[in-house]
Amino acid sequence: MRRFSQYAFEISDVSHVSFWKKAGPMDRVYIGYGLLVVLLVVISYLLGATGALPYDPQEINLELIMAPPNTGGHLLGTDFMGRDMLSRLIISIQAYFLPGLLAIGIAIVFGTCFGVFAGYWGGALETATTYVSNLLNSFPRLVLILLMVAAFKPDIYYIMIIVGVTNIPVVASLIHSKIQFLKQKNFIEAATALGLNNCTIIFKHILWHNCRSVLIIQATLGMAEAILMETSLSYLGFGVQEPTPSWGNMVQAGSNYFMQGKFWPSTAPALAILFAIMGFHLLGDGLNSMLERKGDR
Amino acid sequence: MKRLPIVVTIFLMMCCLAASPALAGQRGDQFPDGGALNYGEYGRPATLDPITSNDMISLRITELIFNGLVGIDEKQEIIPELAERWEIEEDGKKYTFYLRQDVAWHPREGEDAKPFTADDVVFTYDIMMHPQTITPLKVRYEFIESVTKVDDFTVTFTLKRPILNALAKFSFKVIPRHGLQNQEFLTREDPFVQAPIGTGPYMLKNITADREVILVSNENYFKGRPHIDKYIARPFADQNIMGQALMFNAIDMIVLVNHRDIPQLQGDKRFVMQPYNALSYSFFGFNLRNPLLVDKRVRKAFTYAINRQEMLDSFFNSQGTIISGPFAPGSWAYNLDVQPVPYDPQKAEELLTEAGFTKNGDGIMEKDGRKLSLNLKVPIAKESEAVKRVVLAFKNYLQKVGVDIQPEFQEWMAWKEDIFLHHDYDLMYASWVFDDSADISSLFHSAEIGSWKNNFGAFSNPEVDGLIVEAKLTLDHEKRRTINRKLHEKIADENPYTFLWTLTNYAGYNKKLRKVAIHPYKFFSFADEWYIPKSEQR
Repeated sequence: MRRFSQYAFEISDVSHVSFWKKAGPMDRVYIGYGLLVVLLVVISYLLGATGALPYDPQEINLELIMAPPNTGGHLLGTDFMGRDMLSRLIISIQAYFLPGLLAIGIAIVFGTCFGVFAGYWGGALETATTYVSNLLNSFPRLVLILLMVAAFKPDIYYIMIIVGVTNIPVVASLIHSKIQFLKQKNFIEAATALGLNNCTIIFKHILWHNCRSVLIIQATLGMAEAILMETSLSYLGFGVQEPTPSWGNMVQAGSNYFMQGKFWPSTAPALAILFAIMGFHLLGDGLNSMLERKGDR
Repeated sequence: MKRLPIVVTIFLMMCCLAASPALAGQRGDQFPDGGALNYGEYGRPATLDPITSNDMISLRITELIFNGLVGIDEKQEIIPELAERWEIEEDGKKYTFYLRQDVAWHPREGEDAKPFTADDVVFTYDIMMHPQTITPLKVRYEFIESVTKVDDFTVTFTLKRPILNALAKFSFKVIPRHGLQNQEFLTREDPFVQAPIGTGPYMLKNITADREVILVSNENYFKGRPHIDKYIARPFADQNIMGQALMFNAIDMIVLVNHRDIPQLQGDKRFVMQPYNALSYSFFGFNLRNPLLVDKRVRKAFTYAINRQEMLDSFFNSQGTIISGPFAPGSWAYNLDVQPVPYDPQKAEELLTEAGFTKNGDGIMEKDGRKLSLNLKVPIAKESEAVKRVVLAFKNYLQKVGVDIQPEFQEWMAWKEDIFLHHDYDLMYASWVFDDSADISSLFHSAEIGSWKNNFGAFSNPEVDGLIVEAKLTLDHEKRRTINRKLHEKIADENPYTFLWTLTNYAGYNKKLRKVAIHPYKFFSFADEWYIPKSEQR
C-alpha cells in the first residue's frame, strides 16, 4: 500500500527540495519580517504573563493624563486616563491574536469543507454550496456585526465569529476552483484507480500537497483583517471595550486630542496597526511565492 | 449605527446674502440688523415641532420658531408673550388669558399670513392631550381639567386642583390649527413636524439635503424684527470636527462645547465661552433588588470610596459642582445645608465591615461567601470618552476598598432594556436632565417601580413616599421648599444613587455675536435680541 501512495505522491508534482532554498531573496525578507511580527506577538504574551512590562497597563494615574512621550519614565507618554502607552501598546496585540485565530479557524475549516464538497463531488452539493456562499456574501458584514452587538454584547469573540463566517465563501471558492483545476491533471483519477480512499485523496493529495499555500495565505491575511475590522469597529465604539486595551480603541481615544496637537496617543497605536498588518500581508505574500515556486525546479 | 459619520463640508464658506437692508432701530433699540449665525449641533434634530420632539436639538430650534402664552425672562420671571395679560380666579383653579391681537402665523409660501386666535390655543391643548399623540408633554399637563374659548382672543383654563407655579406651565408652545394635516392628533408622519410654522422670531426656510436647518427672520414678529437675518443649524457627526469648524470660522457658535475643548477655546481671544447652568446631574444608580445592595451602609460606602473632586478636576477641568442629593443644584429645591460626603476610603471600608463584609484572600470584600463583585452597565455612544473616564476611575477607586466592579458596555437599546425593563444590572451610570420643575416623584416614589418606569432601582422608603406626596399637594411655596429640603436630606442619607456632579455647560461663540443671553434649558429664548455689528456681518 505504501508503494502505491508513494507513486501517487510522485505524480502529484511535489519535489523534495527545501522550500526555504526555493524562496527568492525578497521573499526571504518578507517572510523574515512577517515572522518578526509573529515573534513580537509571542514576546507580548511572555511579557504580559511574567509582568515584565514597564508599567501595569491598567494602572490609572489621574495626575499624569495625556503626558507627552518620555515624561516620568513613560516612554510613549500616557493616555486619557494616565495609563502607560507603551505597556498598553505591547499588551494590545493579545486583544486580536486569539480572536483572530478563531476567525481564521472558522473560515478555513468550514470554507475548506464547502470547497471540497463543491469541487470534489460536485452535482447537487456544488449547487447547494454555491447558494450558501451567495447567501453569506450578500449580507453586509458590518451590519451583521452591529446586529450581533445589539443582540448580545460587544465582545471581540462574537465579532470574530462573524468575520470568520463571512470569510467562509472566500475560502470555499478558492478551494473549489483549485480542485476543479487539479481534476484536469488526472492524478486524482489515477489515485482513485490505485484504490486510495476519498479521505486520503482529499486530505493528502489535494489539501496537503496542493492547497496548503492557499490556506496559509488566507490565514495570514485573516489575521490582518481581524485587526482592521476591530479598528474600524472601535471607531464606532463597538470594538474591544475598556479597560482591555486594543490598538483600535487606543487610536479612537487618542484621535479626540489629535486636533489639539497631542498626536502621540493615536499615532503610536496607528503605527503599530500599520506595521502589524504589513507584516501579516508580507508574510502571506512571501509564503505564497515560496510555495508556488515548486513548479520550476 | 445611529451615527454613521457623514461627510461634512466644513470648509465651505457660507455665503451670507444680506437680506433687504432693514432699518436699524425697528425694535426700538439702536442695534443693527443683518448677518447670519451658523451654529453647530452634535447630531440632527428628529422633528421640528414642539409637541412630538423630545431631543435637545429640536427643542432649541422650536424655541426660535414658536411662542408660548407666557415666557420667562432672563431673571427667571414670567412675562407676557402670546397672552398680553391674565387673570387667576377661584383660588387658583381658573386661569383666563387675554391674547395679543397683533400676532400672525408665519405665512406658507404663496399664502397670506393667518392671524393667531384663541382657537389655536384650544387646538394645541387638544392635540397635546389626544391619546394618539405621542409626546413627553402629556403628563405635565394632566392637571388641566378643561380649556374653553371665551371669544377670539380670550381663553380660560380650568384646573383639576390648584397647583403651585401653574403659570410657568403655560409656557408650552402654541401650534397653528391650519398648519396640521390631521386635525385630531399629531404623529411624526404629519408633514407639519418637518415643515412647521409658528409665531416666533424666526421662520423655517428649508432643510437642506445635509439636514442643515435654515431659519430666516420674521419681519412681522410681534416683539419687533429680530436683529440677525438668518440662523443656520448645522449638524455634525463628530465633535472634534465641530470644534475645528468653529476655529476655522465655518460656524459661529457651538451650543454645547465638549469639556475637553474648553481650555483651548478659552485661551483663544476670537471666541467667547459663556457658561450656562443646565438642570442636570450624573449619578451611579444601585439596583436594590440585589441583596448585597439593600443595606444603605454598603451604598454609602461606595460614595465615600470615590474621589469626586479629583474626577471633576481631571476630566472636566473643574467645570461643575459636586452634589449631595436628588435635586438639580440650580433648582430652588436643592438643600445647600446637606454637604456632599467627602472622599474617605477608610470610612468606606469601615462601613462595609459594619455591614458584615470581610476582606478575603484576593482583597475583595465578602459576606456569607458572596463576593462584592458587581457589574456596572454603561451605554455605548460614539462620543463617550467622558463616560469611559468616569467609569474606569470609579472601578479603580472601588478596587482600593475591596469592591470588584465589572464595567459592561452595551449598545444603547440593549442597555435601556436591561435597566428599565429587565432590571438586570447591579450598578448603572447615567444623567438626568430636568426642566425647571423640582419634581422628583417619578425617580424615587415606590409607585414608580415597574417596567419602563423611572424608579428602575426599586428604591422604596415610606418616609420618602410621604414627603413626595406632601410636596406635590401643598400650595405654599415656602412649605414646599421645607418639604423638599427634608426630602433631599433623607434621600442623601438613603443613598439610592451615588450622586456625582452637575456640569457647567458652555456655549462657545465668535465674539462678533453681541448681547448673547442664554436660557439654561431652552437656550435660544432671547435670541431675537442678539445682534452682529455692521462691520462684522461679512
